[in-house]
Amino acid sequence: MSAKVLLHVGTPKTGTSYVQDVLFRNQRLLAEHGILYPADRFDAHFLAALDLMRLPWGGLETEAVGAWDRLAERVREHRGTAIVSHEILATASRSQVGRALESLGHGSGTEVHLVLSVRDLVRQIPAEWQENVKHRSTLSYAAFLEQVRDPARESRIATWFWGVQEIPDILDRWGHDLPPERVHLVTVPPPGGAPELLWQRFSRVFGLGDVDLDLHAERANPSLGVPETALLRRVNRAANKVVEPAHYRPLVRELLAHQTLSRRIRSPRLALPPAVHPWAQQLAAAWSEEVARRGYDVVGDLADLAGAPPLSRWSDPDRPAEKQVAGAAVDAIKALLLENVRLREEEARLHGELDEARRALDRSYLRPSYRLREKLVRRLQGGRAGRGALAVYRRLRGRSSRSA
Amino acid sequence: MTSAGTPGGTSGERRAWGWVTSLRKGGTTPWAAWTGEAEARGRVLPGAQQLELLRRLNEAGRPEPQLVRRVLEASAPGRGRPDLELVGAVDPGPFGPRPVDPADLPDDELVRVATSVLAEDLAATALPDHADPARRGPGRPPWRRRFRLVGDPWLADAARHALAERGRHPGGRGATVLVLADDLATMLTDAWRSRVLGEGAPPWRDWLDDAVSRDRVPPRVDVLRALRTWSDRVGCDRVRLVLDPAALPRLAGTRRPLPPAPALPADGAELARRTAPVLGLLALPERRARLLREALLPRLVAAGGPPLGVPAELEGWVHDRAEWVRREVLAAGYPVVGDVDRLLPRVREGAREPSDAGVLDLAVRLLLAGASQDHQRGSEDR
Repeated sequence: MSAKVLLHVGTPKTGTSYVQDVLFRNQRLLAEHGILYPADRFDAHFLAALDLMRLPWGGLETEAVGAWDRLAERVREHRGTAIVSHEILATASRSQVGRALESLGHGSGTEVHLVLSVRDLVRQIPAEWQENVKHRSTLSYAAFLEQVRDPARESRIATWFWGVQEIPDILDRWGHDLPPERVHLVTVPPPGGAPELLWQRFSRVFGLGDVDLDLHAERANPSLGVPETALLRRVNRAANKVVEPAHYRPLVRELLAHQTLSRRIRSPRLALPPAVHPWAQQLAAAWSEEVARRGYDVVGDLADLAGAPPLSRWSDPDRPAEKQVAGAAVDAIKALLLENVRLREEEARLHGELDEARRALDRSYLRPSYRLREKLVRRLQGGRAGRGALAVYRRLRGRSSRSA
Repeated sequence: MTSAGTPGGTSGERRAWGWVTSLRKGGTTPWAAWTGEAEARGRVLPGAQQLELLRRLNEAGRPEPQLVRRVLEASAPGRGRPDLELVGAVDPGPFGPRPVDPADLPDDELVRVATSVLAEDLAATALPDHADPARRGPGRPPWRRRFRLVGDPWLADAARHALAERGRHPGGRGATVLVLADDLATMLTDAWRSRVLGEGAPPWRDWLDDAVSRDRVPPRVDVLRALRTWSDRVGCDRVRLVLDPAALPRLAGTRRPLPPAPALPADGAELARRTAPVLGLLALPERRARLLREALLPRLVAAGGPPLGVPAELEGWVHDRAEWVRREVLAAGYPVVGDVDRLLPRVREGAREPSDAGVLDLAVRLLLAGASQDHQRGSEDR
């Protein structure tokens, strides 16, 4: 049984991909310090979360069968500190939280600590819309904002958004059984601060200060600008019905969004419309007050949740500058062309291999007796008498084989 | 959040726990009419969706204690509304979703929870331990009639399975290609139902509206495309459009009639559509496919219900397309087995689309029936 489990449950877009990448790549080093990050693949904890929450995810869930139980078993078998981290856990229901905590050893002697990394709504709202677009959504930014702000919260967009973003509610569900000193809130610093500050906060809460980790990031979840997101939404509208999720992930999300469009960093950034700002900041103030009242361990500063003031020049992704979208589209076409070249070369190579395999097969395919019987049937089928004989034979054969 | 941790709890919380206790014992009183109180009996109160589903189960029968526990512990799978608090049990705070009266919940929300429990039942079903019949038996002798089944996937899958059971496997050199078809309206429902039990499908109307908006028959039931493709590939003389199911055994080299394709009703298909993705998280793909076909499908067929049909407003489009296909088949001179007029839609009674109430009723019946007797529970072979 683990002595201590650090359970990081969100929220999305708070540097979680970076944290998980560092933990994944440094597993061996962490193990030398008695810290377990149990993952045989980068997305192991994501799959475990899908399994725990029974969350279909465009076919990826087929790889998640039993993943949570396997993860929890490894955590229970470890004698030290274990870290579990995935941001979609934030949306787990109360009963799923109960199952998760119990399976990790809560109530059986394990000291479970909850970690929730949080960022201001001013950045989170546009980031969530962008995540939706990167997951095939065609919803406009205005419609997204309308659904998120609807007090009824009945749409799929709204239930997911608040499920992973409403800090007091997430802490209600996840921290319900834990004393407040074991609930740690890591705040994301405001934009423009030292880039290493967020990692330092994570490092402190995970107790990694003494471990000389390789902090070079291989994976991240980079953001897109306004014209790039608008382009992607148009691509979704045009291609969703003809591109299956299994192809969408590598081609659109990875190749186009992450590897190509995210490199265009000089385009206008997505931001909250100035008119929505006061509502978001009012909400953030209420959350900060509630969190402070509950007495959780805050790593960082609750003032970080206030967010930056509205932009003086806000760019609307529903009405982007077409010249900028065209620029992004050219980059996208170039990337797809290069990928096509790579695939054509690969296709030519495989054709060569296949031809060689066919030639080898032809040399050894048919046994002589089979060839003979086939030749006989073909010859019989060529003449009237032969066809008659074959029909008689088939009738007799049918009768005799009926009981078989 | 209401909790067992609050000593004694508020009056609203005690009333909620009283309702939970009553429902556990088979009570059917709606939440709004409930007045009794009880002490907390759990870590947290179950969600409104779970409690209302249990109440519906109690109204419909006598759920086993194990089923009661599983329903109360279940969470709605997939994306959608979270577990909700009972209105009147807690003060609506400034955070989290609003509490609800469970009676106001749409049937769709209760179906979500039911699919989770139903998928667990399926995942725990022991399947007969035999290999796929298509892989059994000795090799095909060269004199056996060779055929290949294409066309309507619902008909073709059923026929392929029945023939494989008799040792008649499709394929082989020189096989005659049998393009199975029916009237277009039926084939559309067949194509959708086949997707439901296969890779998954959007709701019936979404799927159908998409096909109509593109003015295209879905590829799986595009008879003309199949006829053209196979004629180009193997020659017109080795292709048959089969519209007479009674002729199929002879064409496949057997005499006994084949069993008809399963009649999966509209609500049954929708319940399968909703349950299949959840099952994908509980069983590996190959086993999931078998569970859907061999465990869920027979239960849904046995439960009965009106068949699925095309909505009245789309009948014109379906008729025009079917008429066009018929003309093209005749013009191209493809060999037809049966009456070519069978391609035209026939008047059939049925549901134009599944209903949430019907799907919930069906889910409740299946949950109460539990795993069938010949399917022993046992998740060890998962």
